[in-house]
Amino acid sequence: MKKSVSWLIIVAMIASLMTGCSSKTSSDFEDVYYSTFTEAYKTLNPYFLTATSAYMMVGNSIDGLVENDKYGTIVPSLAESWTHNDDFTVWTFKLRENVFWVDNKGEKTEYEVTADDFVEGIRYIAEPKNGAKNFSTISRIIEGLYDYYWNLADFDDGVDIGKTREEAAASFDEAVGVKAVDKYTVEYKLTTSTPFFLSYLIIELFYPVEKAFLDKVGEDYGTSMDKMLYNGGYYISQWERDKLVVLTKNENYWDKDNITIKELNFQMVGDEMTGLEMFQRGELTSCKVTSEQLKALKGSEWEKYINLTDKTTVTYWFTMNFQSKNPEFQKFVNNVNFRKALQYGIDRVQISALYEPNTPEFFVRNTVIPEETLFDPKGVDYTDYPNLKPIKEKIPYDPQLAKDYMKKAIEELCNADGTIKGLTPSKVDMGNIASFDSDAKLPVELVLATTTDPLETKKALLIAEMLKQNLGEENIKVITGYSSTSFQDEVFSPMNFDMVDDSYSFRFGDPSANLGRLTTDGSLNEGGYDIPEFDKLVEEALALTDIEARYEKFSEAEKYMLENVYLMPFMTGGGSYQMTKELPYQTPRGGFGLTRFKMKGSKIQGSPVTTEQYKEIKENFEKELKENFAKE
Amino acid sequence: MKKYIIKRTLQSFVTICLVIFVVFMMLRMMPTSGYFTRDDYLNMTESMRMVYLKNLGVLDPPLVQFKNFVMKLLQGDLGRSITVYPKLEITTILKEKIGFSAAFGLASMIISMTVGMSMGVLMARYKDRLIDNIGTGYAVLVRSIPSLIYLFLFQVWVSKIFGLPMLFYKNRSESWILPAISLSLSSIAWYAIWLRRFMVDEENKEYIKFAKVKGFSQKYIMKNHVLRNAILPIAIGIPSDFLLIISGSLLIENLYSIPGMGGLLISAIKQMDNNLVQILVLIYSSLSVIGVFLGDLLVVFVDPRIRLSESEE
Repeated sequence: MKKSVSWLIIVAMIASLMTGCSSKTSSDFEDVYYSTFTEAYKTLNPYFLTATSAYMMVGNSIDGLVENDKYGTIVPSLAESWTHNDDFTVWTFKLRENVFWVDNKGEKTEYEVTADDFVEGIRYIAEPKNGAKNFSTISRIIEGLYDYYWNLADFDDGVDIGKTREEAAASFDEAVGVKAVDKYTVEYKLTTSTPFFLSYLIIELFYPVEKAFLDKVGEDYGTSMDKMLYNGGYYISQWERDKLVVLTKNENYWDKDNITIKELNFQMVGDEMTGLEMFQRGELTSCKVTSEQLKALKGSEWEKYINLTDKTTVTYWFTMNFQSKNPEFQKFVNNVNFRKALQYGIDRVQISALYEPNTPEFFVRNTVIPEETLFDPKGVDYTDYPNLKPIKEKIPYDPQLAKDYMKKAIEELCNADGTIKGLTPSKVDMGNIASFDSDAKLPVELVLATTTDPLETKKALLIAEMLKQNLGEENIKVITGYSSTSFQDEVFSPMNFDMVDDSYSFRFGDPSANLGRLTTDGSLNEGGYDIPEFDKLVEEALALTDIEARYEKFSEAEKYMLENVYLMPFMTGGGSYQMTKELPYQTPRGGFGLTRFKMKGSKIQGSPVTTEQYKEIKENFEKELKENFAKE
Repeated sequence: MKKYIIKRTLQSFVTICLVIFVVFMMLRMMPTSGYFTRDDYLNMTESMRMVYLKNLGVLDPPLVQFKNFVMKLLQGDLGRSITVYPKLEITTILKEKIGFSAAFGLASMIISMTVGMSMGVLMARYKDRLIDNIGTGYAVLVRSIPSLIYLFLFQVWVSKIFGLPMLFYKNRSESWILPAISLSLSSIAWYAIWLRRFMVDEENKEYIKFAKVKGFSQKYIMKNHVLRNAILPIAIGIPSDFLLIISGSLLIENLYSIPGMGGLLISAIKQMDNNLVQILVLIYSSLSVIGVFLGDLLVVFVDPRIRLSESEE
């Protein structure tokens, strides 16, 4: 009897404790953010970042000149204000005074953030020996930077550059267009007129670094928490490699009132499964939900908390090989009707469904440049320009049209007996990917290069099946080729493919970020097409400094490219299901760069955000977003 | 004995050198595109890529690179990682990681040897009885179900039932329990089933029957004859098992988020971090060779009948 009474008391106590806890947390916002990461961050040196987890950690602990706000607008950060000359080639930034670097204990160091720190940042990435990542994104933007880099690189290569390495390195201050005008003024001289220069500044390559400290730690910079300095909203207070990183609020931060969460806690876990389980036990602020997990959670108490996150700016597209070693495909792909037949014969929704079976249409993207990323001063989305709007909105899938175009192509390219005009039988050798005899007759062979990854294989087989159905087995024969070791060396570099797809990221706030690289001699032209019309339009657009006119021209170029099917965009990256206690749309927003990972303004409630709540916040946010544009 | 040890030491040294040389040269035969991510590749021009590779030091002739590597090694400089942890000193990586793997490895070795061997002895002792069947059942289950499945279920269920944390935390001692046990589950079965087998084999030998006839107690026979002989094939492996505890377990470290050595070699190879691969291969191959060597020596102590060289007679 006694025993059972004591048990009852214990149970009652635990219960009261538990309810006590939950009622307290649900009324108030929480101030610690618990998250996990699966992909190990390699280093936190801002100039070598590769993993998303590292973006999050560095983005929150180091500030650049400017940052995005929650509407995606670029607002002052370490720079208080800025000016530019009339043709947007010289930009001058006035820095906030009395901002000091702090160490991994959160204590102010002797080092102040000055204009020199921004110059040193550029000096660091301009040194070829440092091998900064993504350097080429900005190397041609700042005056003299490209030549300076190559002088040093050539010297190391034994080329006579007419001076010693020291002399070449010393020429930085006068040769490269970045200058500390005074202690708090930094000036950038650019090679061309760049009205969107601010969007470059949210990339980590423009981040400052303290020279005296860098000299002290040398190559170890960014390899552990005491080998770094911080000037952002947080400093790294705990760092166990491949295990745990804790960011603690920087009390010396210039904008500390907007740092709503006092600690960010990142733990490494083996897989997403663990994340979900930990979230359900209340150990995490948010977790991803894979599509398999989604199936399992349907009908459970958790279903009402599952939300779809936004798409990313990463775009998937098909590249066709215009210089294929396969003469049949080469002949056909240079015919616009055949390319249209391919375009109308591939169902993008079905491909997207391989990744996201529940809302595949949501992830389809028909344009090269991502939507909801670039806005002109009036707040009009670049992809809503009249040239692109119809393309963006209409998913091009139509088996009947595909058949018609295929018929047209065949009429133009083949003789009545099905032999292809001007071709003789030959051997096709695409290395490990495919080798076969081309009979110079229909069906035309198409080598679809893919990897042995199960999902990629599934996708390739699906495309093969769609083309067979929609263009006719007698007209096309898809050969799937598998790369097993290095896709770059087996497929892209030797151009061993007829068709291949990959994802491409978007780097800064202008259509040229990708369209500029898709020109005939651009690095993204992996299919070897030759389109002078497109090149000309891009060149014209690049010369325009009025954003609206510029977007108009770029959209014309993109329309030309898409209507003539030189490229087939089909899907967006990212966008996944999640459960979270963090309210959406509170933190900096953006499609590229590092400052969008900031946790500034974040609000974490005691219970997970429900689907309804999410929807409501999203609707309100969209309204606010419109008002925000109207205001400007 | 002395002569044997000298001979074996030399042999081991040559083996290690050979392994390192071969691995080093094979790494140089890999395509250099492995040093770049796809994004890097698209972002860099061909000449920029060459500059990058040159600064990594991978464009020199392989023999020159090998010479540099050996010279540095002799000076005690293990070099820096290239791609896995860019620019981080390899000594730092090892220092941070080996401790975790070694601690769990050691704990698991102690658990699995004590539990596994006593289980094996009991199973042999009570052959075909309940305890033997339970033990065999356990071994069959653990060895036949893919470890990923039962380890994951173990993690989720056991942590729920006993209120233990799902992940490992350095400063919470209760979080050390699950990984250490998980790490032992399969080796317990290994020790138990083999020891049982060797003991049962031994028990059926003539001299044991003779000893029984002579009237020795079962306990005495088991301890001084059966176990002593049966443990021999297991003992050979113990030194190398012990030395290689630092290599960690890919699966367990992944599941419990232990920042140890498991998987380090694999990711280094995948990301073509040549410097890191070389050092890890150097360490692991040295330890295996030494382990085998020590195993041979250990046997001499366990079984005085074994002689390593004939000349000692």
